[in-house]
Amino acid sequence: MADHRQAKKTLVIPCSGVGKVHGLISREAVYHVTDKLLPGNADTACLALLVTGDDETKRKVQQTPCVTVDGCPKLCAFKNVELSGGKVAKGIRVYDVMKRHRGANFGTATALSDEGWTVVEELAAEAAQVARQAD
Amino acid sequence: MGETYSKVGIISCSGEEIPEGTIARQAVRRVLEALRPQDTVTLCLPLFLAGEEGERRFAREHPTITVDGCLKLCAKQGTEKYSGKVNTSLVVSDILGDSAKGCCRSTRHTNQANDKAVWLVAERIASEVDALARSVRVEPGNASAEDGACCACSKPSQGGKLEINGTAVTISGLPLIFDHLKKKGLQPGSGSGDTLLQNVKVYHAIEPEQEAAYRNALASAYQTYCGQTSQCDLGG
Repeated sequence: MADHRQAKKTLVIPCSGVGKVHGLISREAVYHVTDKLLPGNADTACLALLVTGDDETKRKVQQTPCVTVDGCPKLCAFKNVELSGGKVAKGIRVYDVMKRHRGANFGTATALSDEGWTVVEELAAEAAQVARQAD
Repeated sequence: MGETYSKVGIISCSGEEIPEGTIARQAVRRVLEALRPQDTVTLCLPLFLAGEEGERRFAREHPTITVDGCLKLCAKQGTEKYSGKVNTSLVVSDILGDSAKGCCRSTRHTNQANDKAVWLVAERIASEVDALARSVRVEPGNASAEDGACCACSKPSQGGKLEINGTAVTISGLPLIFDHLKKKGLQPGSGSGDTLLQNVKVYHAIEPEQEAAYRNALASAYQTYCGQTSQCDLGG
């Protein structure tokens, strides 16, 4: 059951990296937060819109606490939110959770394995916890 | 026949807010993996801002197709703003019309509507790849990923070597970590060891009993890195 008792509106933004499984994990973790864990209290924004400088998306990011979920060391989500004047309450890295499952097969950039979905749920739990604490 | 290119570049919008974004992403993956794997390469759109000149060369080095989820055309506009003119711009909502309405954002709940939509868009992309290849002469399989700009997350991060207790160890992404910390102002010297160790541990497993050896090796390698890059900086 969704738990949104303590949550305020937070933006959870993935990198959505297209090259490796890490990007898909980041994206699915965000949907798990917005659709399952904190529906109505967490939302996402198109990172591509932010990159192109869309005013409405920039405003949304500047006015709402953000949690970013990045798949690779380039930290595209984290950097683009900061460059847009947003405040990142926490930058979560997919690799930090993946390394708890060293040696596992997480699937591909197109489809996740069961272990990939496990990582998604762990990342989502971490993001939701930050979202509940964020102002 | 124009210039010869190694591969056609395809850039998808991220489109997290709408199902069409997921369809764009999945369709691009299908073209890269199954339909035209020898002829295509991709790059994450947000890398144009977060990345460096290497990433920004993408559309200058590849004839490029952008695939957008909606009429805001982020992939097209972002690519043209930061990289170069695109050859073909596709929009999922134009291709699918109302049939995208039954699709979901998450691949966990993928359904028949999603599958059909992804196939339709992927086949359209593939036909545009073929058309582009005919007009600009793309030579399949003629280049490795290293020959041009490509997605940072599609290839292994450049590694850095350390010697730990007499054994050579490769740490993936070490130059990136050094570069990041240098830009943040970390000064080389023995005082840098703890910060370096904490950052490297994120990407590389280090047993507690080996931490001291890693700390010293990292501090020494960072000092060398800073010396070399400072010379490059001075050299312009």
